[in-house]
Amino acid sequence: MEGLFSLSGAVTTVVILLITVFLFCEGLGLFKSSAVEKGYVLCVNSANPVNSLKSYDIKQIFDYEIENWINVAGDYDKEITVFRFEEVFDRYSEDELGADYNLLPEKLGEIISSDAGIIAFIPEKYTPKNVEGVKILKENNISLSDFFAGSEWIPTATPAPQFGVLPLITGTLWVSLFAILIALPLGIGVAVYLSELAGERMRKLLKPLIELLAGIPSVVYGFFGLIVLVPLVQRVFNLSVGETGFTGSVILAIMALPTIISVAEDAMRNTPRAMREASLALGATHWQTIYKVIIPYAASGISAAVVLGIGRAIGETMAVLMVTGNAAVIPATLFEPVRTIPATIAAELGETAAGSSHYQALFLLGCILFIITMLISITAEMISKRQLNKGL
Amino acid sequence: MIQAKDINFYYGDFHALKNISMQIDTNTVTAFIGPSGCGKSTFLRLFNRMNDLISDTRLTGECIVDGEDIYNKNVNVDELRKKVGMVFQKPNPFPKSIFENVAYGLRVNGINNKNFIKQSVEESLTSAALWDEVKDKLKKSAFELSGGQQQRLCIARALAIKPSVLLMDEPASALDPISTSKIEELIYNLKKNYTIVIVTHNMQQAARVSDKTGFFMLGELIEFSDTKKMFLNPDKQQTQNYITGRFG
Repeated sequence: MEGLFSLSGAVTTVVILLITVFLFCEGLGLFKSSAVEKGYVLCVNSANPVNSLKSYDIKQIFDYEIENWINVAGDYDKEITVFRFEEVFDRYSEDELGADYNLLPEKLGEIISSDAGIIAFIPEKYTPKNVEGVKILKENNISLSDFFAGSEWIPTATPAPQFGVLPLITGTLWVSLFAILIALPLGIGVAVYLSELAGERMRKLLKPLIELLAGIPSVVYGFFGLIVLVPLVQRVFNLSVGETGFTGSVILAIMALPTIISVAEDAMRNTPRAMREASLALGATHWQTIYKVIIPYAASGISAAVVLGIGRAIGETMAVLMVTGNAAVIPATLFEPVRTIPATIAAELGETAAGSSHYQALFLLGCILFIITMLISITAEMISKRQLNKGL
Repeated sequence: MIQAKDINFYYGDFHALKNISMQIDTNTVTAFIGPSGCGKSTFLRLFNRMNDLISDTRLTGECIVDGEDIYNKNVNVDELRKKVGMVFQKPNPFPKSIFENVAYGLRVNGINNKNFIKQSVEESLTSAALWDEVKDKLKKSAFELSGGQQQRLCIARALAIKPSVLLMDEPASALDPISTSKIEELIYNLKKNYTIVIVTHNMQQAARVSDKTGFFMLGELIEFSDTKKMFLNPDKQQTQNYITGRFG
């Protein structure tokens, strides 16, 4: 019997560890994959001094945002000609390319060597090899700074998908922070009411009701948010779209409230009667007793409530996905569409090829989420430990 | 002076105190003794209206402290509790520093003057015979003190707001003999300035510290007289039986 229990414990631990390891292995693979789409290469004219390009510069060039080599390659003052592989079929007929396209590399070589400003995005297997005037750019891997400092999340961009995670992190933090700012005072207020002010009958009615709310599936909250909250926010704040970070915060706050109330109320009610009596016997009023004795005494329980609330807010996916508008832009105000990490994973994982850099990037997002929530629980643990050492 | 007249008290349907009348003089120590559940603690807790915290209770009769019926509708309960301090059975310091524990009563009464608070804390701790032991660690948590020290801290805390009456609900029952004797000594010294009412299970303790003793049984005040008389020559047979340990 004993063996059975320790076995189940061991199995659970191992499974959880394996999941974590899997998450990080898949995620960290991103930094080993090329910044350019798999199976393709970038070529330039050999007169061009550029040997390799940063992921973001590639994207800017192919978006025609950078139009002269001088902007990326020092003193090479030449206008950039963007050449995509498909264009080869505009210039040459099928016959000229030969059977099975065996002349294609040769023709591509001609095109590249004849234009000093060209940058060509072509499949690896048609690369003109050892052709005078053609230089194949060295492949760069996606770097840490591309990921963590990048401000654009465009995983489907060709030839260089952008995995800048900043807008997603800021989106997540903004939405969660404001959700907590709304939910915390409300939650503690209701907890104080329930544990200290409400009559026994009221409490017996409200508490189970509030706990029931914690069990409603998030997609239902999301639906409510989409139908009620989004139009309301749009009207009240006179916005062009109601799907904003603020809407997400409100929905998250509503969702986190039942947990916060329930846990904080339990903590307050667990304040020993001796503490209340001691305070009241000294002539303290009910209110003084609440904020000078009961709330400090319940602080560790309340901080647990906060952490559970934040945990729910940061990890919450469905409801946020439905009401925040999902624009992967670093938000300047709360009244803009934002996109959170969990929403990104949920929305995009279905469309990626397993093992692609996009897929790996999503796993890395999962890792970030994992680390954020872990940090929060550790902090909470430390706070409640400190409280315990100080008091009990 | 405290005067109770025809007190009846009910927890729901349970008749906990039956027709009790008693007069407690200023600057005396009065002890309540009796078996568990006899109502002595309930009676004590009437004097600072601590029983208000329990729902579904009912009281008839008058309870007069300093010439005023404390169950009158116009009475401010917080003010009453400043006048009638209380020490509980188990030491119950707040999870705060030693200094803040004693200062608490002053702070909740709106006193902010730092020097005054400092002085009061020192005076109260001195009165509670604790100052010498804690003067170097006032910033430390009250939970670092021993049980006996914690109880004296709770007494100091009650003294800080300068009550005229001090209620003590079995203040030494959770303490070892040495701490107990310190508390008893303290009670003896505090008598000069306070009216003390103490509930105790320990009859020797009642005999040692009190001037008058009330014996309770099943919600009734069986006998109330000078402690000496009570322990040497009680009027009632029940008292005699209890004191000599034949029951209870």
